[in-house]
Amino acid sequence: MTALGAVQLEAMLVTLALVTLLGDAFRPTINKRTLGLGLAALVVLVLLYSFTLQPQATTYFHGMYRLDGLALFFKRLFLVATVLVLVMGAEFVERFTSGVAEFYVLVLLAATGMLLTASVNDFILMFVSLELVTITFYILTSFLRRQVQSLEAGTKYLILGALSSGFTVYGIAYIFGTTGTTNFDALAATLKNGAPGPAFTLGMLLVMTGLGFKIASVPFQIWAPDVYQGAPTPVTAFLAVGSKAAGFALLLRVLLVGLLPVSALWTTLLLVLAAATLLYGNLGAIPQHNIKRLMGYSSIGHAGYMLMGIAAVNALGAGAVLFYLGQYAFTNLCAFLVIIAVTNVTKTDEIAGFAGLGRRSPLLGLALFAALMSLAGVPPLSGFFGKFQLFAAVIERATTDSRYYVLAGIGAVAVVVSLYFYLNVAKAIYMQEPERDAPPIPVSLPVRMGLYFCLTAIIGLGIFQRPLVEVAVKAAKVFQLN
Amino acid sequence: METLLTIAVLLPLTAAVATFLFPARKPGAIRALAILATGTSLLLTLYIFSQFDRTQAGYQFVSAIEWLPSLGVSLKFGVDGISMTLLLLVGFVSFCGALVSHEIHDRQKEYYILFLALTSGISGTFCTTDMFFFYFFYEMAVIPMYLLIGMYGSLPPGKHGRTKEYATMKLTLYLTAGAVLALIGLLAMYFAGGKTFDMVELKRNLQLAGATQKWVFACLLFGFGFLASMWPFHTWSPLGYAAAPTAASMMHAGVLKKLGTYGIIRLAVPLLPEGARHWANLIAVLACFNILYAGWTALTQKDWKFVIGYSSVSHMGYVLLGIATLNVVGVSGAVLLMFAHGVMAALTFALIGFFYHQTHNRNVPDLSGLARKIPFIGVCMVMAVMASSGLPGFANFVSEVMVFIGAWSQGSMIFKVATICAVWGIVVTATYLLWAVRTSFFGPFDEKWNMLKDATTPWQKLPYVLLIAVLMTVGFCPRVLTDIIKKSVAPMVEMQRSVNR
Repeated sequence: MTALGAVQLEAMLVTLALVTLLGDAFRPTINKRTLGLGLAALVVLVLLYSFTLQPQATTYFHGMYRLDGLALFFKRLFLVATVLVLVMGAEFVERFTSGVAEFYVLVLLAATGMLLTASVNDFILMFVSLELVTITFYILTSFLRRQVQSLEAGTKYLILGALSSGFTVYGIAYIFGTTGTTNFDALAATLKNGAPGPAFTLGMLLVMTGLGFKIASVPFQIWAPDVYQGAPTPVTAFLAVGSKAAGFALLLRVLLVGLLPVSALWTTLLLVLAAATLLYGNLGAIPQHNIKRLMGYSSIGHAGYMLMGIAAVNALGAGAVLFYLGQYAFTNLCAFLVIIAVTNVTKTDEIAGFAGLGRRSPLLGLALFAALMSLAGVPPLSGFFGKFQLFAAVIERATTDSRYYVLAGIGAVAVVVSLYFYLNVAKAIYMQEPERDAPPIPVSLPVRMGLYFCLTAIIGLGIFQRPLVEVAVKAAKVFQLN
Repeated sequence: METLLTIAVLLPLTAAVATFLFPARKPGAIRALAILATGTSLLLTLYIFSQFDRTQAGYQFVSAIEWLPSLGVSLKFGVDGISMTLLLLVGFVSFCGALVSHEIHDRQKEYYILFLALTSGISGTFCTTDMFFFYFFYEMAVIPMYLLIGMYGSLPPGKHGRTKEYATMKLTLYLTAGAVLALIGLLAMYFAGGKTFDMVELKRNLQLAGATQKWVFACLLFGFGFLASMWPFHTWSPLGYAAAPTAASMMHAGVLKKLGTYGIIRLAVPLLPEGARHWANLIAVLACFNILYAGWTALTQKDWKFVIGYSSVSHMGYVLLGIATLNVVGVSGAVLLMFAHGVMAALTFALIGFFYHQTHNRNVPDLSGLARKIPFIGVCMVMAVMASSGLPGFANFVSEVMVFIGAWSQGSMIFKVATICAVWGIVVTATYLLWAVRTSFFGPFDEKWNMLKDATTPWQKLPYVLLIAVLMTVGFCPRVLTDIIKKSVAPMVEMQRSVNR
């Protein structure tokens, strides 16, 4: 495959974005809802096309870019997320005063950046793709221009994001200065002879700062609840699913490919960060009464679970993280689809607004309930098996390093705590009565289809885990782990 | 033949899925489907029981489907004497639970979906021989229970000052906390046993050092102990039962709770013999607390459901004591008591549900002379109380005697004292139960209960008659069950002896 062939998926998305932008200039009157759904349909075609691609063993662009099994896994994941976010966007556009086409364009460009992160094999490309994602998100988060909350979210994200980008570049410079390379493979080869010293360690920590910001892990998580709450809901969903997965794609490549030989340097740190992230996210979610803010804290908590899998540094853990990200996408998108459909009618993000949802719309009630229970890790839903594998990975590591038993214990506490706040939403859905004369909530056809798709994935992957497990295990073969 | 067991386990779940397709405005059809599914499942279980090879100790009717070969997970079902007994229990209680569910008038569709899913979750846990699916089915049963209590339950205001939402949340969190704790232990066993979740293979492969066995056993003991309402982790249980709708109380007190002690018997004791020996004394002591502490608490309760709730915590103490003996008689007694107590608790909760549905009051001192208006229910309640207090002729008597013999013959001083405490516990049990039944069913008749209607049609009487018949059948010929239980318990205990030497 030629180098251009290797980036064809990204090229398709960019073309789609540019055509939309130009088309909007010439035909501004087109129905914005139709436009969003049309784009979603086109991205579905790109997704289907991506299944014709085969993993390639070689690298492209001077070793910067890979199209291996892991890259394809993440690219498909991002494409699924993009489709559903576009559907959400189409439901949401009435609330934008202007610039709807630009909204879709930015979503597509962010998606392009995410697809790039999946293939990163070099710190330079990592920085470029990361910035493409982050800068589009600065705009997307403040897209509700007339709402102070949205602007606040955008500003917060901008300041902290810019800061963390700065740290990342700074760290890359240190790594390049001490090892003479920015390529992950070359870096791993150099590090086989031992870590170069404190300057290198500092560089590594600074790079992890940038990635920690993307995945919202402690201590770089402060932005998540505010930004999740303030951003337009489709953007929140994209942040929670796409941006987070992009961060994990990079973290996996950096830690388990480039820095694998010096894993002793970072495992303790990751162990502590995972534990702190688990506790912060799950405990912080308890007092929340705004559903988007709750999802913000919950997303921090889930970053903690996935860090458990990376901290375990074994094949089971790497595969478990991939499985978890895969099912997490469906689960979260399902929840956000419901949140958009409900808040379009109730006009409030408060959890109290979900009272009696089970009566007002059985489908929406069931979908949100299933999504939250999957996030909490209840069988027979997909989140259960995700957590099960992550715990198994940690316990496997614990058989040689007993500190990991403590991590598993903290994870267990987090599971129980998370069940509490997810069940509080479930209580509103099923145990509280709707307000008097509350109208039933209509569910449009695209949302209905999206929900059926997500529910099938949540329940299907919860019972028949094998397909996704096999894909994840195959993709994780990229890492030299056992 | 092998598939029959799978069908018996998964039939309620299939019915739950099918219920989704029914329109919600046809509750009659949904209810009929639920009764049909649980009834067929019960008949299948009885058929399997009749075909059960009573001379064998191992698993029978084994069926296996490869599920996740990369992790060593396969969907395996099989029953030995222990799980056969408990599968019968699920069959009887779920069928009767479906029968008494006519009291539900709102959102029936969701109710029966949850009830059927719960039933399959529980019987799946009892019948699977794969640790992964053991955990899977168990956790699957917890969330339907949360919704059943929260959506359909009722908790009269009282001194406890709690709502049903509080009760159900507490119950769910306790059960999940216990499950996750047990999971850590199970995973440690998985890696030590050569990465397989298969219980039979694990038993062959598992090589754990004594010190490791001790803490892994502790994970399982306390993890499952949460579910079995082991003292001091029992406080969720009476509250949860009190708040639950009738059928959910029956399922929970009757069977779901038994999963805890089943987990200890099935996984902890045979796979970690050294750990079991290490913790046996502690289990015995905690069991005494269960029996006496919960018994005394029951003495002070006024609400019928709280009385029975604490009583069931107290009875779990006998089961735990039986397990702690680690000898054939004691452990077999524990298994039989799980069965007997399950049937008895289900019967009692069904009876309470029957009159509570009409009186909307279950405060013992407020009720008086009910037997005059509802003699059938009164007679059944007297029988249930007699069974619960361990009178001969009921299964409970046989099993409790077995536990006492097992505990006394264990020989150590702690167990002798524990046996004395346990026997004393029977007196306590009889005291509060006889007080409750005398006050509310006999005594002067209060005119305000004139509107009560007795169970008259055979359909209404069926669940109560069936449960009493089961208790008495096993009470008069206990060997129906004890033979097969002992067969399966014996190899476990043999293992224990080899450790002792």
